[in-house]
Amino acid sequence: MIVEQVPVERFVSLLSEQGLRVKLGPFNVQIRTKLLQLASQLYPLYANYELVEDEIAEFHVQVLPKHSVRRPFASFVRFLIDGQSPFPSFPSDQALAVLEWGINLAVAVRTNHLLLFHSAVVERNDGAMLLPAWPGSGKTTLCTALVHRGYRLFSDEFGLMDPQLGDFLPVPRLMPLKNQSIGVIRNYLPEAVLGDEIFNTQKGTVAHVRPPKESIQRAGETAKAKWIVFPKWVANAPLKLEPLPQSEAFLLLASNSFNYGMLGETSFKAVTQLVRTCRCYKLVYSDFDRVIAALNELTDDT
Amino acid sequence: MSSKTSWRSVNFSSLHIEEWNGEYTVFHPESGKTHFLNQMGFQILVDLHSRPLSAISVDEICQNLMNQFQLQSDTTFSDQVSKTLHRFDELGLIEQVK
Repeated sequence: MIVEQVPVERFVSLLSEQGLRVKLGPFNVQIRTKLLQLASQLYPLYANYELVEDEIAEFHVQVLPKHSVRRPFASFVRFLIDGQSPFPSFPSDQALAVLEWGINLAVAVRTNHLLLFHSAVVERNDGAMLLPAWPGSGKTTLCTALVHRGYRLFSDEFGLMDPQLGDFLPVPRLMPLKNQSIGVIRNYLPEAVLGDEIFNTQKGTVAHVRPPKESIQRAGETAKAKWIVFPKWVANAPLKLEPLPQSEAFLLLASNSFNYGMLGETSFKAVTQLVRTCRCYKLVYSDFDRVIAALNELTDDT
Repeated sequence: MSSKTSWRSVNFSSLHIEEWNGEYTVFHPESGKTHFLNQMGFQILVDLHSRPLSAISVDEICQNLMNQFQLQSDTTFSDQVSKTLHRFDELGLIEQVK
């Protein structure tokens, strides 16, 4: 059963009482909150996620109202994971952003059986394409465009690699667009389902994109990577998609992994194998139509 | 830095080495760290490893490198090699022999 098959009253009840358990790729997450505004935001955005009944949840998260003595008339929330609060309090109208960051933090910090790259990952023609980049490079925006143009979403944030098998695991989560990207995507993809704009967050204005339904339905289907593309959005720049030396790709990938150092030799072998079996590029783009055409050509050439 | 200092390899055979068109990634199991070396840096490790029973002086290392890479003698070269050797020492890849 998926969330949209549950009446909204039941959805709110699950969230506020025993917790809503959903499958986010390889992770089961239990979410609890009594905040009705957050529940109303989650219901359409989580519509396609599968409910989990009898399986263990890896992460138990909560978003609670918090009252401040210093600012008694302001409304704040705090995020808890397994009863611990990793963040300070946030204004309550940022609850959705806080929940999503909190779940990302849990994945980043607590996943040590997989190699984690800071990378968007999409799939086309049975091959995964990694788009590793630091914040501000436009990877979420590019990822959003690609997954509405025939690519399957694995993640806009995490490349989850099984280091033994070399497979990438999908974890299709909401994609948080920031600032100007929100208008850009609304214009380019009027069919995209976006949540409310959340203002004045630590990253500016944020609006979450709901992943395509098919990407969530196929979240159990892993893929091996065939392409590694390091993207950078530059205003008005002509498209450039150029091969990247493998040694450079290795260094960039290893340095942008969340847990490369922790996994030691396992990481070294996995990244070596990954780079040896992928075609590596650096990409500069400013125009969606051109970049999608170029990446289609790349991923058609298998 | 004294050019009389000699150096020797430490556990070269334990390193995991991958070659990428003349550049090298080297995983050092003892520290768990990965190092990125160019051809000359890697050649220093190979030269030291090739003489496991005796330490090699900086001068000899420099001479070997100049021969292999067909370099002209240069006063700054020895200093650069010495700095690299000390860096490798800090990383646990080689050690000084007094």
